[in-house]
Amino acid sequence: MSDIRLVNLTKSYGEGNAVSDVNLQIGEGEFFSLLGPSGCGKSTTLRMIAGFIRPTSGQILVGRDDITALPPEKRDIGIVFQNYAIFPHMNVAENIAFGLKLRKLPKAEIARRVTESLKQVGLAGYDERYQRQLSGGEQQRVALARVLVTEPRILLLDEPLSALDKGLREEMKFWIKDLQKKLRITTIYVTHDQDEALTMSDRIGVMSKSRVVQVGTPQEIYERPKTLFVTSFIGHSNVLDVRVLRAEEGSALVSLAGQELRTRNGGGLSPGAAAKLVVRPENILMGSALGPTDARLEASVISEIYQGALVRYRLKVGDQEIVAERQNQAHVERFPPGAEVTIGWDPEWSEALVA
Amino acid sequence: MRDEAAVSPLMKAIAILALVVLLLPVAIVVLAGLNAGEYLTFPPQGLSLRWVWAFLSSPTFMGAYLYSFVLALVTTLISTALGTLASIYLSRSRGRAAAALRGFFMLPIVLPGVVLGLALYVFYVSTDIGLARSFPGLLIGHVLVTFPFVVATVTASMVGFDLSLEEAARSLGASPWTAFRKITLRLIAPGISAGSIFAFIISFGQFETTLFLTVPNHEPLPMAMYISLRYKFEPTAAAAGIFAIALVALSTVVSARLVSLRRVFRA
Ligand SMILES: Nc1ncnc2c1ncn2[C@@H]1O[C@H](COP(=O)(O)OP(=O)(O)O)[C@@H](O)[C@H]1O
Ligand SMILES: [Mg+2]
Repeated sequence: MSDIRLVNLTKSYGEGNAVSDVNLQIGEGEFFSLLGPSGCGKSTTLRMIAGFIRPTSGQILVGRDDITALPPEKRDIGIVFQNYAIFPHMNVAENIAFGLKLRKLPKAEIARRVTESLKQVGLAGYDERYQRQLSGGEQQRVALARVLVTEPRILLLDEPLSALDKGLREEMKFWIKDLQKKLRITTIYVTHDQDEALTMSDRIGVMSKSRVVQVGTPQEIYERPKTLFVTSFIGHSNVLDVRVLRAEEGSALVSLAGQELRTRNGGGLSPGAAAKLVVRPENILMGSALGPTDARLEASVISEIYQGALVRYRLKVGDQEIVAERQNQAHVERFPPGAEVTIGWDPEWSEALVA
Repeated sequence: MRDEAAVSPLMKAIAILALVVLLLPVAIVVLAGLNAGEYLTFPPQGLSLRWVWAFLSSPTFMGAYLYSFVLALVTTLISTALGTLASIYLSRSRGRAAAALRGFFMLPIVLPGVVLGLALYVFYVSTDIGLARSFPGLLIGHVLVTFPFVVATVTASMVGFDLSLEEAARSLGASPWTAFRKITLRLIAPGISAGSIFAFIISFGQFETTLFLTVPNHEPLPMAMYISLRYKFEPTAAAAGIFAIALVALSTVVSARLVSLRRVFRA
């Protein structure tokens, strides 16, 4: 079994914690991303799983084995580093054979598996090249081949695409995901790039300031952010000051500039308290696009910004500004600056969070 | 090497001039050692192998030569091993302790050799631990003198060494020792080799610290040459110099061969 469990995993460096009390369960064959801004503790978490850093407290379990105290070479966990770490004094074939030689496999078997693995990553015939003769993307593939050829229980990737240019990054994103799916290898992918996390992952753990603040599918993370941090880190959102009128299980009634609105309840709200209402620009409807059950607000248009496929509106409600985005489709209603307009959204697509 | 064409003729001329100035004493020693005359003179009065034979058949000089060779060899082995370990420690630890230690290790470079020799001699004699004028005592002196050079060159070769290479090896199944041997050691080998060449050359030519520590009747070559020149102004010392130069050149070539410096420079 190669599911992973992190139990109260903590690493402290003197005064502060790099990782605090992380609890995660990652299923066999799952593609799990740790997403968060630089310095939030992603690499430290990954390096504890790989065995390069000893946790201050907590446990790491793979299947039923507690591997917390095992050295890296006994863990059977492969890792791909941000800079790929191709051994510069060995050619590609020797790099890939490195782990196999340590496992004392017969020579012919090693040669066969190296060739096979080079073919798998699309680098057939690259055997004799050295690191300095490889592009970033090729080094990336060699690093993956070198790890995968040893058939580890778990694959760890630390920002593997951040050193590549944009076009290649897009290509590698799908390539890595496809390879992972084909091999069904349990994978933990560290990134600060929300696009990578959203497109590649089965589930995402969002980290902030040494803690995992939300775990969920890409859809859950994007559509149902549980904290203001997740809201602001993933995509763009309007974050509006509101006051709670009624709070029920799952939904709430809030007032924004004297107008009442229904919304989802992110939890922890109490009547009379200030709260933040979160709604994404693309979910805001305007004018005749509104349906009968949508939450409604009277707003005025500050400006209209034409962006080709999108039209972006800056709107004013009371003294707060709201940004709305609309697809620029045929027959779509347009609103000139200064116009008064009714805007709104499906209450299920907005969330009230504790301020 | 790609930029060879970009070197201006002026720079080339300066480089050649510097080389000539540096190699001139070497040439003078070699020619003086091949002198056919009775005394150490330059330019030589005709060429002959007379003094080379004198050196080869002199028990004093040959003994001193072998003694220096063994001393330099043992010094190099110890200094290289200790210096490499120290460099690895220094390059992997931060904080005040490591910084202080780095300065401490470099101390013998800035300390005049005479002062170091005198200090060691006084220490050996006053503590009466049996090191005064003994081979181990002399060896300690030579290790102290050569150690900083190994530390300096090996530390330099570890700057920019990517620790994730070692970590990658570890997670591919290598024990700490295997990862060190197959990755780190291979990559810093040119630095270690350069450090050991330094150690050998410096030990072989060491004079002022040696002055206080030599074992009676077992003079290393530099001392033997000095003593010989004080009493007889014979070209045998210069002939000995030829062999010293040859040995140093040979050690450089051998050491470079062992780690294939070419491969490093090709990259
Ligand atoms: N060896 C260390 N000593 C002290 N602090 C460290 C060390 N390694 C990491 N940290 C701190 O721990 C925090 C998390 O680091 P890291 O896991 O590398 O973040 P991320 O990978 O998310 O960018 C950072 O604030 C960093 O400064
Ligand atoms: Mg990181």
